[in-house]
Amino acid sequence: MSESASRTLRVAHLYPELLNLYGDSGNILCLRKRMEWRGIEPDVREVHVGDRPSFSGVDIAFIGGGSDREQRIVCDYLLEEKDELAAFVEDGGVLAAVCGGYQLLGHSYAMGDQVVEGLGLVDLFTDHGEPRIIGNIAVESRVSPQPIVGYENHAGRTHLGEGVEPLGRVFFGCGNDGASGFEGCLYKNVLGTYVHGPLLPKNPGVADWLIARALERRYGSADLEPLDDREELAANEVMYHRLMAGEVEEL
Amino acid sequence: MGARTALATGLGRLAHWGLHDVLHRSASQLPGRVALAVDPHAIAGLAPKLSQGSIVVCGTNGKTTTNNVLACAMEAAGYRVLCNREGANMAAGVAAALLPGRSADWAVMEADELSTVNIVPALRPRYLVLLNLFRDQLDRAGEIDHVQDTIASALAASPETVLVVCGDDPISMGVALRAREAGTRVLAFGIAEDLRLGADRVPEGAFCQACGAQLDYDYRTYAQLGAFRCPRGDFARPELDFWATGVRVGREGVSFDASGRTLPGKVRVCASFGGVYMVYNLLAAFVAASLAGVDGQTFQRALDGYHPENGRLQHFVVDGREVVLNLAKNPTGFNQNISLLLADEREKAAFLVINDDFNDGKDISWIWDVDFERLAGAPEALRVVAGGHRANDVQVRLKYAGIEAPIAGSVAEALEAISDLPRERPLYVLTNYSALWPAKAELERMGERHE
Repeated sequence: MSESASRTLRVAHLYPELLNLYGDSGNILCLRKRMEWRGIEPDVREVHVGDRPSFSGVDIAFIGGGSDREQRIVCDYLLEEKDELAAFVEDGGVLAAVCGGYQLLGHSYAMGDQVVEGLGLVDLFTDHGEPRIIGNIAVESRVSPQPIVGYENHAGRTHLGEGVEPLGRVFFGCGNDGASGFEGCLYKNVLGTYVHGPLLPKNPGVADWLIARALERRYGSADLEPLDDREELAANEVMYHRLMAGEVEEL
Repeated sequence: MGARTALATGLGRLAHWGLHDVLHRSASQLPGRVALAVDPHAIAGLAPKLSQGSIVVCGTNGKTTTNNVLACAMEAAGYRVLCNREGANMAAGVAAALLPGRSADWAVMEADELSTVNIVPALRPRYLVLLNLFRDQLDRAGEIDHVQDTIASALAASPETVLVVCGDDPISMGVALRAREAGTRVLAFGIAEDLRLGADRVPEGAFCQACGAQLDYDYRTYAQLGAFRCPRGDFARPELDFWATGVRVGREGVSFDASGRTLPGKVRVCASFGGVYMVYNLLAAFVAASLAGVDGQTFQRALDGYHPENGRLQHFVVDGREVVLNLAKNPTGFNQNISLLLADEREKAAFLVINDDFNDGKDISWIWDVDFERLAGAPEALRVVAGGHRANDVQVRLKYAGIEAPIAGSVAEALEAISDLPRERPLYVLTNYSALWPAKAELERMGERHE
């Protein structure tokens, strides 16, 4: 496809040296490969502590999870970029946020007993709950033809504002707050979730949704060549069936 | 020994006899559980029977090998030693290992990092050896800061214990920093020269434990270990009390000169196994043995006779093909295994097995932090097969590293999958924790063991 050969997408990986707790580099690798396999040139740029990131040329921003301490450091840096990030989101920029990164999207999150100001990009907030939610998770979502499978590990309980669409409905596991039956958030082209594992490789539908939204915004068309996803879909299916058959004992 | 501990000991030994002598089962845990159920203070109650005291070894990777080498060296020096050789490293395993005999000279015990808080304050060891801290089993252990806190509080509750720490590891030194402030005596060991190895990926952020700044390195040995310093000057590798120089790492094993402030001269230490991580393990064992009065010659003699059969770098021959079994349970361990694999210049095959049982950690997202990319690019020189409960995840990870890997359900199936390869090509079987024992049992059935 000569048309696709000329397409490039810029991916900004935010603070990989701090937010890299749950194999998050796998998400970037997955985006990179799935673009390359389709002749889309990935232009992946890492944003490090001390950089002044600009989001004007960015198509997909990714932010992962870290320890409380690391999440706090990142939050302090990103608060300085809050207006630019908000403009990026309102303009339809694609933002994928996992675990701690997901919590940062909201008005506030909890660090122990402390309430920390978040980026306020999406109408949600996170408070602290007991016990910590740790285990496998499967979610039904409109962004993925397959159930989204992965692992969640969070003390925070995330509450969506009225009218904020969840990423999906929990089949297995706990999700946002362990009570609502919902997991994650979707707002414009922002996808926030507790699902790691990492999120994208075993859930190629989610990866392609992000790539398609970014293509749409930059090139006006979201044509994505199908890929041979036998291995990815087998891994997804095996895990989904193990969970639903009760073969995986939770902690 | 109080009456309660005596009763606990008696019942624990009875459980040991029943399991070991009657049922021929492993007795590494249950007798200790029985003893602790009768007397929750059984470890403290049993400690006085040690005439010289005890040494506890902890750290994410290398505990079992370091602890067993140390125990062998102390036995070679004539001491009577109690040791949890099978690696049962929580309180029950330690209690079980303390049960045999009326008295002993030393206990040499490996401790799970999070169990140090139950073991160290009870046993009151003379030395706690802290090898390294890496990210491992986040779902069970939590974040690494929590592991650091736990070890620091274990030391705070046993103020006479001397911390013997890897000075090259900033994360272990974070524990040492806090322990020293609380009054613990600290001795540091490390590698005192640049090995000029191709640096592998650092799965941990290497950050200053005082101010959080990214650390600078004069050189790195592996992962986050090396000669580090904070650019702001508030945290750096300490002056080493014991150090290795003249380090050689190759397919034939490792060797180095061990020196120490309090030692008369250098001692050459050689082992026929391991990579750079093994230099640290052996240096740590050497340091602890020296502190317990074992001389260098005796240490080397013990090492020459050390042939563990615990699935750590264990060699087998199956139908004329060499099979090397090793444990690889976290990114750093896996990356070190990949270095070992690459140091073997022969064409070869690898069977990578990942389970997600409780003991493994159920969250296997860490496989994306392993540098499998280093294995890509030479499919004719290296055939890879995926296995374990999470074989499909391993297969996907490898696909994204550019490696096509079929799935096999057992070592036998993996051998079948590579049966078209000439027999001279070895198979490396790398497994995480719960996959290790089935693989070992299978290899023992199929193969002739060989040193």
